[in-house]
Amino acid sequence: RIMPVRWSRYNPNYLEPEPKKEPYQKPLEERTEEEREQMDLKTVRPIKAAPPTMSSSVFNDPLISKFTNMMMKSGNKVLARSLMSQTLEAIKRKQLEKYHKAPENEKETIECNPYVIFHQALKNCQPIIGLSNITKGGKTYQVPIPLTDNRKRFLAMKWLITECRENKHRRTMMPEKLSQELLLAFNNEGPVIKKKHVLHKMAEANRAYAHFRWW
Amino acid sequence: TFRQICTTTAVQRKNVGASGPEKYTEAFIKKQIEEFNLGKRHLANMMGEDPETFTQEDIDRAIAYLFPSGLFDEQARPMMKHPNEIFPEQRKIQWGEDGRPFHFLFYTGKQSYYSLMHETYEKLLNVQKHQDQLIAQDLPLQKEKRNLAGNRWLTKIELEEMLLEKVSDDDYSRFIQLLQKLVALPCANIEEKYIQKFSKEVPVQLQKVVIEPLQYDERGVAFSTGEGKRKTARATVVVYDNGTGKTTVNGIDILHYFPVLQDREQLLFPFQFLGRIGKHDMVCTVSGGGRSAQAGAIRLASAKALRSFVTEKEVEFMRQAGLLTVDPRVKERKKPGQEGPRRKFTWKKR
Repeated sequence: RIMPVRWSRYNPNYLEPEPKKEPYQKPLEERTEEEREQMDLKTVRPIKAAPPTMSSSVFNDPLISKFTNMMMKSGNKVLARSLMSQTLEAIKRKQLEKYHKAPENEKETIECNPYVIFHQALKNCQPIIGLSNITKGGKTYQVPIPLTDNRKRFLAMKWLITECRENKHRRTMMPEKLSQELLLAFNNEGPVIKKKHVLHKMAEANRAYAHFRWW
Repeated sequence: TFRQICTTTAVQRKNVGASGPEKYTEAFIKKQIEEFNLGKRHLANMMGEDPETFTQEDIDRAIAYLFPSGLFDEQARPMMKHPNEIFPEQRKIQWGEDGRPFHFLFYTGKQSYYSLMHETYEKLLNVQKHQDQLIAQDLPLQKEKRNLAGNRWLTKIELEEMLLEKVSDDDYSRFIQLLQKLVALPCANIEEKYIQKFSKEVPVQLQKVVIEPLQYDERGVAFSTGEGKRKTARATVVVYDNGTGKTTVNGIDILHYFPVLQDREQLLFPFQFLGRIGKHDMVCTVSGGGRSAQAGAIRLASAKALRSFVTEKEVEFMRQAGLLTVDPRVKERKKPGQEGPRRKFTWKKR
C-alpha cells in the first residue's frame, strides 16, 4: 500500500520495530493466526531503526517516554528525564510514608509501585468523549465526537502538565506538584478529574447537536 | 495536501502510454508493420542473405553499411525498426470513420478504468454467489489464504501503463480497496488468475549481508569489528569475547564520556537484547555528531559486530528490533524565504 505521509524519511514499506525480548522467545505454536501473518510480513519487509528513546530494558516504558517528551522544553531532554525520575521517587516516598503509618489491615490496599500509580492515574484522567467546533449555517457549535486512543492519552497528559505549570504556587518544584496531581488523579480526585467531568457534562448538554457530525 | 514518498526505483519510469490524445488508427499501425516486413525481405535480398532468417541485428548492420552517417546522436541516424518500437505504445483512435466510438463507456472519459472496475465487481459478485451456493449446500468454505507477505499490488504508474490512460490517486485507491475486498472473501481462490494480473512478487532477498567470521588476536581472544553512523557521527567498535563488560570510548570510560543515562542505555541495548551484558568488552572510536548521535552510532556499530558472535535467528530478531538499520533521519535544510526548515517568517500585515 502506498499511503501519503507527511514527509517521512522512510519508505512507506518500512514497519515499526519491536524492541522487547519476550515476543521473540514465544514458540510458534502459541501464536494466533494474526501474529503468524505479522511475523511473515516482518521477515519480508524492511524495518525502521529503533529511536534513541526505545530500548529493551525493563525500566523503559513507552508511556513514560511520551510523558517526558511532552514535559520537555526547547529540547532539554536531560532536565525532563531528571524531573520525571524525581516525580516517581516523590510518589514512592509519599506512598511509603502512608504505608508505614497505616494500620495492619489497610497495608495491603496501599499501592506503592509508582509505575502502576502513573498508569492508573492517566487512565482515570482520560476523557471518553470530546467536543469539536463545527460551523454550520454561520454559527459554530460544540459537537460531541468520539475520541481515538491516542487523542485520549494526549489530552490526559496535556491537562496534567498544564495544570501543574499554571495553577500552582510559583515556588514549588515540578516533581512535587506532579506527584501531588498524580496521587489525586489515582484516587479520582483533583482538578484534572474535575476538568474531565466538566467536559463530559458539556458533551451531554450538547447532545442535541450530535447529528452534525458527518464522519 | 500530503506528499507521496519515494517509491521503488523500478516504478519511476516515464509514463509513455498515457501522454496526449490518440494519434494513429489501428489500420495505420498494421499497414506500417506490413511495409516493415516487406522492406525487411527486400533488404535481405539486396544484401544477398536469406529473407527468412534475417534478424534485427542484421537489419541494423545493413542500414549502417548502406547509409553511413557521421551524426553523433544515435537517434538521428537512419534506422529501420519494428513500428511498435518507433510509434510509442499509445491508445489507437477509439472511434470509427463515422465518428461513433467503439467502447460503450467512451463518453465517461476514463473508459478503461471504468470497464476494469466493472469487471472486478463482476468477479466479486461471482465469488459471493459461489459462497452463497456453498452455504446453501452446507459445505465448508475453502480457507486457503494467499501468502500476503510476498506480494504487492500494482503501483499507480504500473496501472497507468496497463490501461494506457491516466489514473488519479482517488481512482487508484478505490481500485485497490475493491481488490482487497475481493481477496478478503474466503472463496477468492476461484478468481485467482484474475487477481494475479494485478499483484507482483516482492523479491524476498532483503540484502543478504555477509556476516564476517570471528577474528582471533594474539592472546586467543575472539573479537569482531563493526562500523555505524547516525546523523554526522561515525563510530568503529571492536567487541572482544570473554570480557567483563568494560567499555572504552576514545580512550575514556563510558561513565565519564556519556554522563546521561539515556546514552548508556542505548549502548547496552544490543547486549541486553541478546542477554550478553557482562560477557563482552568493547573498545570504540567515535567522531562527529552530538551526544545522542554518537551513542546511536556506537549502538549500530556494536550490533553489527555482535552479528558474528550470534546465530542467524538471533540476527533476524535483532533486525526486527530495529538494531541493524541505519537511521536515515538527518537535519532538514533551511529553505530560502523561510526562517528555518519549516518555520516561516512572522507574517506582518503591513
